[in-house]
Amino acid sequence: MATEAKTARAEWGSRFGFLMAMIGAMVGVGNIWRFPFVTGENGGGAFILAFLILLFLLMIPGLMAEVALGKYTGKGIIGAIRDATGPGTAAGLGVIVLIVNIALMTYYSPVVGWTLYYMIHSYLFTFTGAGFEAGAFLGALFDNPVLMIALHTAVMAIIASVLYLGISNGVERLVVYAVPALVLGLAAIAIRAVTLPGASEGLVFTFTVQWEYLTFSQTWIEALAQALFSTGLGWGIAITVGSYLREYDDAPLGGGVFTAVGEASIGVLAAFAIFPLVFAFGVDPASGAGLTFEALPQVFIEMPGGAIWAIVFFTGFFLAAITSAVVITEVGVTTVSEETRLSRNQSVLGVCGVIWLFGLPSAYSVEILEFGDDTFALWGLPLATIAILVAVGWFMGPERLRVLSLNQNAGIHVGRWWNPLVKYVVPLTMVFIMAVFAWDFRGEDIMIAGMVMLVGVPLISFAVMRYVDGRAEPQTQAEATGGDD
Amino acid sequence: MVDTIPIDTWIGMAVAIVAFWGVAAWAMIRTLRQEDRKVELLEDQRRIDTYSPRGLSELREWIEANPDDPYRDDAIRRYNDCVEILRATDRHFYEWSESEIERLEPI
Repeated sequence: MATEAKTARAEWGSRFGFLMAMIGAMVGVGNIWRFPFVTGENGGGAFILAFLILLFLLMIPGLMAEVALGKYTGKGIIGAIRDATGPGTAAGLGVIVLIVNIALMTYYSPVVGWTLYYMIHSYLFTFTGAGFEAGAFLGALFDNPVLMIALHTAVMAIIASVLYLGISNGVERLVVYAVPALVLGLAAIAIRAVTLPGASEGLVFTFTVQWEYLTFSQTWIEALAQALFSTGLGWGIAITVGSYLREYDDAPLGGGVFTAVGEASIGVLAAFAIFPLVFAFGVDPASGAGLTFEALPQVFIEMPGGAIWAIVFFTGFFLAAITSAVVITEVGVTTVSEETRLSRNQSVLGVCGVIWLFGLPSAYSVEILEFGDDTFALWGLPLATIAILVAVGWFMGPERLRVLSLNQNAGIHVGRWWNPLVKYVVPLTMVFIMAVFAWDFRGEDIMIAGMVMLVGVPLISFAVMRYVDGRAEPQTQAEATGGDD
Repeated sequence: MVDTIPIDTWIGMAVAIVAFWGVAAWAMIRTLRQEDRKVELLEDQRRIDTYSPRGLSELREWIEANPDDPYRDDAIRRYNDCVEILRATDRHFYEWSESEIERLEPI
């Protein structure tokens, strides 16, 4: 229960700050290495078309729902969802989102640590030094658990420092510089990359339209997975960021359309930056996540002015990673400071401490990190998305939220077409993608762990809220909700 | 080795740039301009209309269709606030005509 000592809620200092916070949160390492490769592997322009359709059909409506709920309630995830569901067991939907969010951060922080390590070494000109070997360099990092834990610790310390300064002075001040710097860095690399001999092969790989791919189910599943993982739907970010909007701020244009399309634009820019480089220097484009940590350093050795380009790239890469990590952690901080007696600063220390502690196994071992990533990314994120959309679609009611919050002070009018998307289409699509992942990994440890999580996390979450809210006084307005159609 | 870029690739690149960067740039410019307009109106008259004609009309429809809804009081407050602001101010954020404002009735 919040203490009465807590004062008026913080707000974004500017519209630009809000927009950059959303983009900074959603753009992560996946935009830089995954989008270009998945695009090239799945029909180029045809994949882009499929991705765009899913973005508008599912992700933008979903993000609009999250931002509108946050704006309407002015609360973090548990408070916002409790306002929709009423106090008690069902408010556990908010706890599901919180658990998934914190779990994701426990293995994302060590990854941010890798980007920090590479950025530092780019400034030390390590990648262009004599005898540098990218595979051995990465292997040495992974084989040094003390260093990995130190990096994880440093990242959580940076995150805690930014969050300690607050929404406007900390988070906003970081993202308004970091996100444009990331875009400028990638744009500079893209301009250099497309002018290299052999770069056209990378552009052909990524962008050639192969229309027949639109008839392949795999194209749509990959587009769906990319859209889900890159837009940050279900992380609780949009609810939290939306809860700090000012009275006259819009939700659907900035929080929905700009956020989803803007963050995907960074992936498109990365496609222009990375794949021409990869093909120009004969690197395997299927390197996946290893592309950025193993293949690209090898490129910088051979590239004229490679030391400078390595600095530009790895600084941008680190900024993409750290801005996401800061805003993702803010989700937990906002919620904990509202739901407990802790002040904001105590919540920052508490949440960052918990993430640091539970992140130690992932920092210690890459195998544990990958197992956690596979389990929570494949099933945790869709589960959290369903939790939010059940709260909006089935408890709050989409029509109620649309007329009360979404279209108030809105930059674009959202019609009734939005209601069935939020209530039926997006949640059912999440169920579908979880089923696809379960089928793909049937019988494997990842699938079993995922199923345990799918049962265990909701059970724990509902039990927690049943106990916590059972001790609290009932809230009249929230009690009487129950959908609107 | 690909020396020239085929037409299909140019189409793919053009679609990607227009559909993503074009839409993102449009959305950002539009929302920042709207912000400037809101700030200008707020500095001038302290309050601005909160719903478009269509948004306010749908809010009223919802209020009339849901007489027992627990959020009805909040909806009425929002509706009446907007009507009052529209009547009390000369300049509006959304495109309201004088005749539309005259026809509005508080609930």
